[in-house]
Amino acid sequence: MNSNKISCKEVMYHICDNLGEDLESPRCIEIKTHLENCENCQHFFQNIELTIQFYKKYNVDLPKDAHNRLIDFLGLNDCIDKK
Amino acid sequence: MNEQQLIEAAQNGDRKALAELVKMYEQTVYNFSFKLCRNRERAEHTMQETFLSMVKNLHQFSGQSKLSTWLYRVVANHCLMLARSENRYGFSSFDDDETYIDEKEIAEWKVTPDKITENNELKLILDESIQKLAPEYRVIFMLRDVEGLSTEETARLLDLTVPAVKSRLHRARAFLRNELSERFAHELK
Repeated sequence: MNSNKISCKEVMYHICDNLGEDLESPRCIEIKTHLENCENCQHFFQNIELTIQFYKKYNVDLPKDAHNRLIDFLGLNDCIDKK
Repeated sequence: MNEQQLIEAAQNGDRKALAELVKMYEQTVYNFSFKLCRNRERAEHTMQETFLSMVKNLHQFSGQSKLSTWLYRVVANHCLMLARSENRYGFSSFDDDETYIDEKEIAEWKVTPDKITENNELKLILDESIQKLAPEYRVIFMLRDVEGLSTEETARLLDLTVPAVKSRLHRARAFLRNELSERFAHELK
């Protein structure tokens, strides 16, 4: 077993596993313990979570004219209910 | 008809079923195309090419994967091809991991994503930041983190190993955090 204290750099490298992977490995438990006591890592973790949220919430709607051009492009005009 | 029935009907030549499948997925495909291309014109072009591919190849679709996964793969391949041919921003290299890790002082962000739809300045920052990210990394970030596919699904979809996906995802996240951190510190109140 590795007795060296885990460093911020290691925490940062493995942080992806803290965001959606199996968290029960001994390494991940060690990382979580470190996170609880390291403000820098908490900020890094918060930054990464927000980065993901920003890109998740930035969505675009398909414009009606782009929909019409798609149906026209595929030759499916006669199959679409115009109501 | 449910999705499976629509696919079978379309495979047997039912054009109305095909049109229903297009309607079912056009928003998803357009949105995902935009997320990779960061450009509405290219997103529309990619959407058209993706559905053209679906129309041409639906008879080969076996149902072993979800239709949405199949469409994601087509979009990803198309956007990767476009991005490589139009490297406008000059993608960042990942030769040096340390570039993206600053252990000295990391600030907590005060900005929140709540009002993203109304904030054009923020949208521009998000667009510019992700366009600097090499397409091979961008697509993994989008599939895994934004669209919510599993690491294994992402690896299968892109013909990569799971460790390769994890490694690229880590670098993509760290790169984007670094880019946004610089911009948030200077440009947003």
